[in-house]
Amino acid sequence: MEVIPQLVVSTILLGGLYALIAVGLTLIFGVMRVVNFAHGEFLMLAMYAAFWAFTLLHMDPYLTLFVSLPLFFAVGWVSYRVVMRPVIHASHNAQVFTTVGLSILLQNAALVLFTADAQFLRTDYYTVVLRLGGAVFNLAQTVAFVIAVLATVSLFAFLRWSYTGKIMRATAQDPQVASLMGIDTGRIYALTWAVGITCVGAAGVLLAPIYPVYPTAGLQFVLIAYIAVVLGGLGNMAGALIAAVIIAAVEVIGSYTIGTAWKEVLYLMLFIFVLVVRPAGLFGQRGAEALGT
Amino acid sequence: MSLLSVSGITKSFGGVTANKGISIEVGEGELVGIIGPNGAGKSTLFECISGFYTPDAGEVKLDGKRITGLAPDVVCRAGIARTFQKLRPFQGMTVLENVMVGALTRTKDVKHAREVAREWLSRVGLDEKVDTFARTLSTGQRKRLELARALATEPRVLLLDEVTGGVDQRTIPGLVQLVRDLHGRGVTLLVIEHNMRVITAVAQRIVALYLGEVIADGAPQEVARDRRVVEAYLGQAYVQ
Amino acid sequence: MKRYLPAIAYFVVAGLAPLVVKDAFFLDALVLILIWGAAAAAWNIAGGYAGQVSLGHSAFFGLGAYAAALAVTRWGLSPWTGILIGAGIAAFTGMVIGFLSNRLKGPYFVIATIALSQVLLIAASRLKGLTSGSEGIPVPFRPGFWTLGIADKSVWVWIVLVLAILVYLVQVYLERSRRGFQLAAVREDEDAARSLGVPALHLKVAAIAVSAAFTAVCGALWAQYIGFVDPAYVFSVDISIKFALASMIGGVGTALGPFLGAALVTTLETTLRAQFGGVGAQFIGTYLILYGIALIVIVRYAPRGLVGWIGERWGRREAKPA
Repeated sequence: MEVIPQLVVSTILLGGLYALIAVGLTLIFGVMRVVNFAHGEFLMLAMYAAFWAFTLLHMDPYLTLFVSLPLFFAVGWVSYRVVMRPVIHASHNAQVFTTVGLSILLQNAALVLFTADAQFLRTDYYTVVLRLGGAVFNLAQTVAFVIAVLATVSLFAFLRWSYTGKIMRATAQDPQVASLMGIDTGRIYALTWAVGITCVGAAGVLLAPIYPVYPTAGLQFVLIAYIAVVLGGLGNMAGALIAAVIIAAVEVIGSYTIGTAWKEVLYLMLFIFVLVVRPAGLFGQRGAEALGT
Repeated sequence: MSLLSVSGITKSFGGVTANKGISIEVGEGELVGIIGPNGAGKSTLFECISGFYTPDAGEVKLDGKRITGLAPDVVCRAGIARTFQKLRPFQGMTVLENVMVGALTRTKDVKHAREVAREWLSRVGLDEKVDTFARTLSTGQRKRLELARALATEPRVLLLDEVTGGVDQRTIPGLVQLVRDLHGRGVTLLVIEHNMRVITAVAQRIVALYLGEVIADGAPQEVARDRRVVEAYLGQAYVQ
Repeated sequence: MKRYLPAIAYFVVAGLAPLVVKDAFFLDALVLILIWGAAAAAWNIAGGYAGQVSLGHSAFFGLGAYAAALAVTRWGLSPWTGILIGAGIAAFTGMVIGFLSNRLKGPYFVIATIALSQVLLIAASRLKGLTSGSEGIPVPFRPGFWTLGIADKSVWVWIVLVLAILVYLVQVYLERSRRGFQLAAVREDEDAARSLGVPALHLKVAAIAVSAAFTAVCGALWAQYIGFVDPAYVFSVDISIKFALASMIGGVGTALGPFLGAALVTTLETTLRAQFGGVGAQFIGTYLILYGIALIVIVRYAPRGLVGWIGERWGRREAKPA
């Protein structure tokens, strides 16, 4: 039973990263009712940003983070203005196709610019591990986890206590009423989109020192994020957090017990099972999945 | 025996009980009005009858056959059609096609459905709008379209949710006349209506709901004078 | 009759082309254009006519491809039998997904379909005993019509043309028949349709099952034509997107649209592949960048694609949502 502490540690470290990706996605869904199918591509771009900053400018990824936060906020804001704003009141299908279009565009721009080859960002401290009570922590993973948690907590605090955060939640509840109250919903949507992209931008920078970087790198992570978001109940931030940790646990325990080959199947099966049994997600309100269609 | 028999319908959402043991009988060819302030449970009752909600308790019978808990499309084919308070025309279809969807529930032949749809459209006075898109219609015309569409399913009972709500004053008399005509043709109607003057003029009987319960059931003038109804629903303004 | 003239012209030209042009590169492109056209049209049955947008249709394409390949290589059956098996399995899977569609709307449904294709991708990669895993299965070439060992590409053109016309006719049925009207109502407003007696769930399930079965037939013929099946391609999100994209560009919810879209998409792709094959393979991605932009622009300015756009200009009935 010596492996248990290690499994717990691995689960928590992985869950923290998944959570940061999922939180941005679920925030965007909660406020705008849009599932961002290009979320993984923004993650991939952030991974490349960290990679190139490291390779060309010898910038440590954790330093890059400070640049990438405002950068991805700007990227988010601009992409909202140019791509999303025209379809924000259109049908779900129009929104799906628009974000899919954005995804294809970004993914293949990366392919043309950076080739399909996997790139590795190897810091000096890549192999450094910490030991604590029988469990081993990879330093990069641990730092990524701590920053991911900090980022998630600040996002929650922002939504809970800041004036803008409250307005965002009000818009999420009822855009029409919010707009009657004098809230500029268009601005809130732009802000939400930008904040969501900033989250995934941060996650990408944190992932870059741990995972290989390539144009379709976003897909595997974002699929996990979709699942976390749906399991947590679309738009339910706390639900997404818990679901991210559950998926990490399924993945870690699955890899340990039946091997890494089938780990994805495990959480995909869990996902499909929950969809069938309780489509509103584990923590979502029943019937929410049918809203606004 | 009554054609539509609603007995003991109860439906709650979380902690809120929208319908508490509601019972209403509607006889063949009758026109019954349902009144009540916002939140009285009128629309919830319609959803329970038409199959969009499954009531927690109670049952709905059509001509003696239990239809509680059946899917909305099955309820419609059994003979209960409805309109929506918030109008829901098929925006991307023409007016004719909208009504054809209703007609196709009773006929397999598209050509025949087209003829039936034209007939209903002329009865509700939309002859000239047949080939225009539903989204271009005014609110009053949309109400007529929804009526025609529901009638095309040849219902034995028609549930109307807010006939005059949201339309301008000048269109009300036409719609009221239309409802009267339908009644005159022998259609059984259960009508939710906010406009007291309209409902007392057309209904043979009125059921008043308040906080999910039936507080009065009788002839329009009696119900309108009922103390509880006046207090609960109409308030001081009407008394003056 | 007039409104079907463009489609008749399209199929007649495709059918006669092999008699005139003997160039192998051209015929190869034509076979692919028709297969992808049929697959896009099959997607359109669910995504366009029934309004159930899927980005996991590669699941059905892959099921068909594998069923046909395995029928030949492992079970010693005719590929035609394999096609039927694939269509059957896909139709059943489509029915299951169709039932889910009642509880999963819009984006939820999209995510569920992606998840399905991913499960099959992983299963096909890992079940080495059955599928040879990610190495894929080469389909042996045994000359003859019943073994689909056909060297003459003209014959392939005609085989896939028959499939394309079949899927086209299913779409025409959906524009003219009672069931088609009812399905259109479900797409517009499911609750309103149900209140009028339309059996919405049955129609959606049937549409998705039919769509899945035809997609599987496309996958099976594709595998037999190409002679090779590998999970990373046939179950990829990329080809799911390709079906949707071809429909969107040509005109979603129109019968001819997916075929026009597939012709454009495939022509551009094949040309660029020929240009950049080998060296500079990364530049093949440029056409995908164009697709991404095209998708965003079409959703915004021409939601009914080329057919809708042309129809509006000519004031033809095809421009009108059926």
